Amino acid sequence: MKKVVFAIIFSLILATSLVKNSTKEIEDKIFMVNENIRPLKSELGDVLLEYNYLSSPDKLTQYQTQYFEKNLIKIDIMKIKKITEKNNHIIVSDFIEKIKDE
Amino acid sequence: MSDKNKVILEEYENKFSYKKSKTNLNIEFNRIAFIFFVFLIISAIYSIQLLHLGSLKIQNETKPLVTKKNYRADIVDRNGNYLVKTVSSIDIGINPAEVINKKKLLINLQLIFPNKNYKEISKKLEKNKYFYFKKKIIADDYEKIMMLGDKSVKSEEKLTRIYPQKNLFSHIIGQIDDENNGISGLEKSFDEKLKQIKEPLQLTVDTDIQFLIREELIKFHSIFRSKGSAVILMNVNNGEIISMVSYPDFDLNKRETVNDVNFINRATKGVYELGSVFKTFTVAAGLEEGLIETDTEFLNLKKKLKCGKNVISEYDKKIPSDLTVEQILIRSGNIGSVRIGQKLEIEKLKLFLEKIGVLKKIDFDIEEVGQPIPFKWGKCKLATVSFGHGITTTPLQLAKGYAIIANGGFEIKPSLIKKTLKDNQNKKRIIKKSVSKKINKILRKIVTTKEGTAEFANIKGYEVGGKTGTAEKAAVGGYTGKAKVNTFVSIFPTSKPKYVMLVLLDEPKTSEDYIYKYKNKNGSYKGTPFNTAGWTSVEVAGKIIQKIGPILATKYIEN
Repeated sequence: MKKVVFAIIFSLILATSLVKNSTKEIEDKIFMVNENIRPLKSELGDVLLEYNYLSSPDKLTQYQTQYFEKNLIKIDIMKIKKITEKNNHIIVSDFIEKIKDE
Repeated sequence: MSDKNKVILEEYENKFSYKKSKTNLNIEFNRIAFIFFVFLIISAIYSIQLLHLGSLKIQNETKPLVTKKNYRADIVDRNGNYLVKTVSSIDIGINPAEVINKKKLLINLQLIFPNKNYKEISKKLEKNKYFYFKKKIIADDYEKIMMLGDKSVKSEEKLTRIYPQKNLFSHIIGQIDDENNGISGLEKSFDEKLKQIKEPLQLTVDTDIQFLIREELIKFHSIFRSKGSAVILMNVNNGEIISMVSYPDFDLNKRETVNDVNFINRATKGVYELGSVFKTFTVAAGLEEGLIETDTEFLNLKKKLKCGKNVISEYDKKIPSDLTVEQILIRSGNIGSVRIGQKLEIEKLKLFLEKIGVLKKIDFDIEEVGQPIPFKWGKCKLATVSFGHGITTTPLQLAKGYAIIANGGFEIKPSLIKKTLKDNQNKKRIIKKSVSKKINKILRKIVTTKEGTAEFANIKGYEVGGKTGTAEKAAVGGYTGKAKVNTFVSIFPTSKPKYVMLVLLDEPKTSEDYIYKYKNKNGSYKGTPFNTAGWTSVEVAGKIIQKIGPILATKYIEN
C-alpha cells in the first residue's frame, strides 16, 4: 500500500515535470515561429499590396489598351456552358437554362 | 531513596505502555497521509492555476486589444484584396535650437536633397522653431540624413494609408486626419475598431464589380450629362452590399479636403423624392392587408384629380380608365395608385412604409446617412405618397425596401461589413411570402411587356424585374419641372431573387446621339425622346447587368 502510494506520487511528479518541460519547449518553439512569421507577414502584406495594385481592374484595362490590339468583349451569359461528370461521361450543358416565356 | 518514591516510579512506568500499541505504524501512516495531503494541495493549486490560466487565455482572445497609438488595421474587400493598407513612413524635422553649424548643415542637406528651397529653410532655421524638413522620406535618403549625425535632425515615425484602388471606394472608406483619427466613411465609424483589431477589416464589396459599375456610370455621366449618379448592388437575402458607387468621387491618395456638396455620397446621404418607385410599396401594402388582389379592378379612373392646391394627373395620356392592380403597377398609373392608397388609409400605408424602413433614418455602417424629411399625414399627403410624391428617402433605404419585398418578406440590414454565416441567420419575416411572389411577378412584367416602362433592362438570361421612378426635383414653392431624379430599382433573377440593384441619375438630360437597342423587339432608336427613368436609368441598369451579370452568376454561384 505504502509503495503504491509512493509510486503514484512519484509518477505524478515525474509526469507533471515532463509535461511542464515539454510544454515549455513547445511554447518556446511557438514563440520562435511567431517571431519568424512577423516579418514574413509584413513582407507578404507589401507583396500583396503590390499585386493588388498591379492587378487592379484599372491597371489591367490600362495594360490591355497599351499592349493588346483587340478590345475586351462582354461575355454573353447564354453562351456560357457548364461541364458536369456523370457515370464517367462528361456532359456539357447551358449554364443558364432557357426559360419558356422568353 | 525512600520506598514511597520507588512506588511512584514503578507506577509511572506501568502507565506508559505505548510500546505495546501500534503507535509507530500510526505515526508513519499519518506522515504519508500528510505528505499525500500536501501533494494533493499542491496539485490542486497547480490545476486551479492551470484552469485559471486557460480561462484567462480565452478571455484575452475575446477581450478587445488595447488601442495602439501608431496602428490602424488594413481594409480588404470580400475577396481579400487590399482596399486600404497601412504603411509606416518617416518624417524628418529640424530643431534649430540644437543646430551647431547652420552653414555646414545646409550644405550637407543640399547634397542629399538638391531640389529643396534652401532660402526658405535658412529662414526657418533663423526662427528657432521646430519644423518639418521632409515628410514621408524614402529609405535611402533616411539613411543618408541620419549618417550626418546632426543632433538637430529628428526623425518621426508616422502612419500612412495607401489606397491601391484610388477613387473606387472613396465614399465608403472615407478619410483619416494627420493624427490617425477617422474623419469620414468607415474610417470614422470604425475608428476605434481599426485601432484595435489585429486582422484586416473585411468588407462585403467586390472590387471588380465596383470597377465595372463605376465605368458604366462615368460613360453615362457624359451621355446624359447628369449632375451625379449612384448605384447600389445588394444581396437581397442577407443585405450584403456588393457594390456602392456614388459619382463624382475623389482619389483618397491625394488627401484633399472635399467641401463641394456635389461630392456627397448620393447612395446614402442623398435624400430624394423618388416618384413612381414607391407605387410598388402601395400595391404591396394593399396585398399585405388583404384589401386588394393583383386582379382587383379599378373602374372609371379619372385622368385628373384635385387635392387642395395640387392637381394629380397621369403621365401616360393613353392609359385606360379601367385597370387591374397589376396593370396599375405595370403602366405606372398615378390615379390608380391614389385609389389603392385611399383604400388602405393613412395608418396602414404608414405602418407598411415604417416596417420596410423608408420613413426614418437608417442605422448603417457609415455615418454619412441622410434623414428622410418628416411630414404631416393628411388626405392629400396620402394621395401623393401613394404614387411616390411628397415623400423622401435615401436610395439605400429604397433598395432595402425592395430587397425585403423580393426576398420573401424577410427583414434585412444593409451592411458593408462581412459577417459570419451565424450572423445572417435568425431571419424575421415582416411581409407575407405570397405578397413577395405576386410583386416579383409584376416587376418582371414591367420589364418584359410592351406596356411596361423598363424594356431596356430586359437582358437575356438574368430575369430582370424592376420599377422605374421619374420625379421632378422639389424647389422653393413647388417643383422645378426641368431638373429630375430618374431611378430604376431592379431585382434579378425574379424567379428566385438574389440581387437588388438601384440606379439613380441626378438631373440627367436627354441625349441626341445615343443609340438605344430595343430588347423586346428588333431595331434601334437614336436620341432620348423623353427625360424619364425608362429612357435613362433603365438603359444604364441594362448595360451594367450585361457587364457584371456573368461575374455574379459564376463567381457567386450557390451550390
